[in-house]
Parts: sequence; structure tokens; C-alpha cells
Amino acid sequence: MTHTPTPSLLEELPGDLLIWVLIISELLVFGAGFTAFLSVRLTDPVGFAEAQTHLHRVGAAINTIVLISSGFLAALALKWRNATRRVAARLALIGAALLGVAFLVIKWIEYADKAAQGITYETHPFFMFYYLLTGFHAAHVIAGVLVLLLIAWRDSPENIETGAAFWHMVDLVWVLLFPVVYLLA
Amino acid sequence: MTRPDKLTFAWISLLVLSGATTIVAELVNLGFDPRVTGTLVLFLALMKARIILARYLGLAEAPSWRRGFNLALSLFCLLLLGLYLGPLL
Repeated sequence: MTHTPTPSLLEELPGDLLIWVLIISELLVFGAGFTAFLSVRLTDPVGFAEAQTHLHRVGAAINTIVLISSGFLAALALKWRNATRRVAARLALIGAALLGVAFLVIKWIEYADKAAQGITYETHPFFMFYYLLTGFHAAHVIAGVLVLLLIAWRDSPENIETGAAFWHMVDLVWVLLFPVVYLLA
Repeated sequence: MTRPDKLTFAWISLLVLSGATTIVAELVNLGFDPRVTGTLVLFLALMKARIILARYLGLAEAPSWRRGFNLALSLFCLLLLGLYLGPLL
């Protein structure tokens, strides 16, 4: 009778261990940012609520749809690559990257609107956190788009799994950032 | 009619939860208690995060890690909820 050994905890983790170290590190950094944001809000809840009315909730809600759809395409790409559907996987990754660019365009419009209103990071502590958290996240989106294009080119299943995991982390951060910064008045 | 696979179902669930989040957030303008809507918004965010971890990141195949992440995320959302509700109580 053959005996199949039970996988260790680390072997159970999907993908490369180092990408999980990165994901956990990023979640901790953003988590600290959200905690700091809501902690400072305790000192001026009325000011934070007023400042939040200047944000573009509709644009941010559209961006949520854009990112979760982009994440879906990235996850599909891995599934298709594992099924040796390389062309479909590459197209899905390019589609995911294009949606990432769409996210950045909407974010750019949002920032331009703030600039037109004369709102800077010095206007109120709310906006300091707003620019810090959304700007840091947007920087990750830029990096993620480049990673998606890179793995569409060098499309081994391992590369796609690792690159897509980074993109899902960006997605995961956004679904927490959106309610904290845009919705919790 | 074929049933959508787990990945497609996850994506559809995320779309539905995102729509629900927007609707719940707008209820404040109709006079709903912000403590209730804020709690619901955070709960919906937690649900979305759990789906991304399980289906997009593949933790559904790693139950121990999934439980650990879900526990940490739930505790973190409770912390955020406490900080949010602080000035409203």
C-alpha cells in the first residue's frame, strides 16, 4: 500500500513563498496606514467627514469594478496557462494590464479634479492620508501593470502565478482602501 | 445551461458585493444611521477580501493558511470598525 505524505504548512501555500512574504509585508504596511488614518480621524471627525465630500466616490466605485475584473482576468490567465492555452492566457494578461491602465486614468482624473479645486496634501490631514494611501497604491498599480506585461511575455506557469499573485495583492488592498478612505464618513 | 466555475462565481460575487457596498454607503444620505451603514460597508469589504484570498490567490486549496488570513483580516476589520465607531458613540 502506498502512503502519500501530508504536505507541510509551507508546501500547502500556493505559489512561491517569497511572493507571500511580499504580500504579507504590503498588507501590514497598508494596514498600518489605514489604522493611522482612522486614528487621526478620532481627533477631527467633522473635518474628516467634510473633507471626504470632496472625493469622487463614483470614480472610485468604477475603479473597484475595474480592478476586480482585472484580477479575474489575471486569475483566468493562470488557469488557461496551466491548461496549455498560452495565447488565451497572454491575451487575458494583456487585458488585465489594460484594465490596470484604465484604473490609473480614472485615478489621474480624480487627482486633476482635486488640483483644480486647489486641494493639496496640506489642505487637511485627511488629504495628506488620501494622497499618501491612494498614491502609494497607484504606484503599486503601475508596478503591477508592468509585471502583468512582463509575465505575458515570459509566460511560464510559475511566472504567471507569481505575477498574478502580486496583482491580486494590489486588488486586495484596494477593496479595503476604498471603504476606509472613500466611504466611512 | 452550464453553471459558472468557481473563479467566475467569485468574480460575479465581487461585482455584486461592490454594488451592494455602493448602495449601502449611499443610504446615509437617506437618513440611515451611519453606525449601521459603516458596519455593513466594512463587513462587505471583509467578504470581498476573503473571496480574493480564497479564489484569486488560491488559498481555497490551502485551508490552514486561509483560516489564518481570514482570522487576521477579521480582527483587523474589527479594529477599523472600533476606530470608525469611536467618534459616533
